Amino acid sequence: MGGLASVLAPIAFVNETVLRFGRAVGIVAIALMVIAILIQVFFRYVLGNALPWPDEAARFCMLWMTGLMAPTAFRRGGFVAIDMVPMMLPRVLGQLLTLFLLIVSLAVLLVAVNIGWSEVTGFGGKFATAALYIPTSFGFDEWYRVPRSWMMASLLVGVILLIAVNIELILRAILTLLGGGDLLPKIADAPVGAE
Amino acid sequence: MLIWFLPTFLIFLMIGLPVFFALLAAPGILLWLNGQTNDITLLYRNVYNGMDSFPLMAIPFFMLAGELMNRGGITIRLVEFSQALMGHFRGGLAHVNVLSSILFAGLSGSAVADTSALGSMLIPAMEKQGYTRRFAAAITAASSVIGPIIPPSGIMIIYAYVMGESVAALFLAGIVPGVMVGVGLMLMIKVMADKYDFPVASRKYTWPERRQASLKAFFPLLTPVIILGGILGGIFTPTEAAAVAVGYAFIIGFFVLRTLTLKEVPEILSNAGLTSAVVLLLVGAAMAFKTVVSLSHAPEQLAALILGLSENPLILLFLINLLLFVVGMFLDAGPAIIILGPILAPIFTSLGVDPIHFAIIMSVNLTVGLATPPMGLVLFVAAAVSREKVETIAKAILPFLAVEIIVIFLITYVPALSMTIPRITGFAN
Repeated sequence: MGGLASVLAPIAFVNETVLRFGRAVGIVAIALMVIAILIQVFFRYVLGNALPWPDEAARFCMLWMTGLMAPTAFRRGGFVAIDMVPMMLPRVLGQLLTLFLLIVSLAVLLVAVNIGWSEVTGFGGKFATAALYIPTSFGFDEWYRVPRSWMMASLLVGVILLIAVNIELILRAILTLLGGGDLLPKIADAPVGAE
Repeated sequence: MLIWFLPTFLIFLMIGLPVFFALLAAPGILLWLNGQTNDITLLYRNVYNGMDSFPLMAIPFFMLAGELMNRGGITIRLVEFSQALMGHFRGGLAHVNVLSSILFAGLSGSAVADTSALGSMLIPAMEKQGYTRRFAAAITAASSVIGPIIPPSGIMIIYAYVMGESVAALFLAGIVPGVMVGVGLMLMIKVMADKYDFPVASRKYTWPERRQASLKAFFPLLTPVIILGGILGGIFTPTEAAAVAVGYAFIIGFFVLRTLTLKEVPEILSNAGLTSAVVLLLVGAAMAFKTVVSLSHAPEQLAALILGLSENPLILLFLINLLLFVVGMFLDAGPAIIILGPILAPIFTSLGVDPIHFAIIMSVNLTVGLATPPMGLVLFVAAAVSREKVETIAKAILPFLAVEIIVIFLITYVPALSMTIPRITGFAN
């Protein structure tokens, strides 16, 4: 049990650190979404000149916000589920069921990461976005058109982070099942609600 | 064989698999067993394409606007305004609780935000005036369901997106049902106030005092006017209106009321982002699920099954309300809409029920489910805020649930209640 706890501790630490960074980027992304749409409203209705990029830029930010923040919600138990059955079952059976559900989730995520990789590196990812460019020179005279794969990578990264969280949750479930609940590293912050 | 994905999905759901994974696992397994491995790739693509949507962006924006308003001390202004209007009635604070929920609903589309914001302020105040804690918690939870019915509404944005309806039409159709729930709850409070001799909250405010309270609440109360006025006037799309609401809440909180500090902003953004991320992933999975629903011809088979029970739409609507109510007891409104919308809506639309009318029946019914035991989310929030047991609140809420059930049936059988405003404004046929 001590061995399992010593495997779990570094995974929990890495997840905590990576997800904190993910949340920080997500916070910036949601702020940028608002700014992009307000710029769009200002240009369209005040200046009468609709810009081509705010819509796509805001969607770009929203996808990355989702990919980087959803794993934190998963780790904090914020994914909606009907957990009456695991709670009603006797302790050991309930924990076994929780473990089974986590394994099913992991299977879904592993299939998703496999497909996600081929999508990002495949034909669809090679297309360019409609209106997103980034400057490649300090004089702003050279621009690179952002490929679609940069947007598509948001879901792939999200799935990879969800896998990392899922592995941690599986180890936590096994440790709890073996009676080592008091050895579990704490998960910071409150649960996430969705309504 | 593909039709088996629905029972598989239900089993996964009932044993506690998170809805996001259940929406993908059940169809995925069946597609794999059916040898349709290419369609599993389609599932993944639809999750991505489902999330990559401009209209969907309104969800994080409205959540952010609600969070900014709540932190910015706007809640207390709404409560003071409500008290100036209704505090002198017998059962005054209970009426204030309901009226504040109606006003709060125009700023935020979330029942949980309503329960935690108003509950933390009004439950202790009601207790101090002699109401039992369970009653105070129960009326807070019961009135909070008005939040997602009156626009703006997170669940209606989800419904509109998943089912391809107009957000503006759904927003407009929710106004009368939301107000009806509020008025119904106030009538019940009046009956109970006379029977149990509830206290009055305050002396009757003079008109200058009322004007003062109105002025303090003026800027928050302008939010729904900006949102709805902007959408109806064709000035903004709902997403743009939501972004404008965020900008407006930011300006009010920082520069007009000066109640927000920059230090609070990261946490506000983080809360809105975390909650939205879960919802967006769910909507993405729902779009993938919807594809398999169509591939499997499940709606046709279910339609045949349902029509076998009766061909009378009125009886079927009664039965479907029962089903939705039971589902709402176990599942939150957003996920329930995501799962059941694509299955049930086509059946009732083919029976001649207006899609907007059906959307409102479903949204109101499942939203009321947020306050029903055993799994009603707002019951748990009310319990946490009031430190009262969920079971105790669940008993005390029953008279108010009865009112809400009556409203559900009124909305179901009198379509004009929800359809008149969208029809008058030209957003529905």
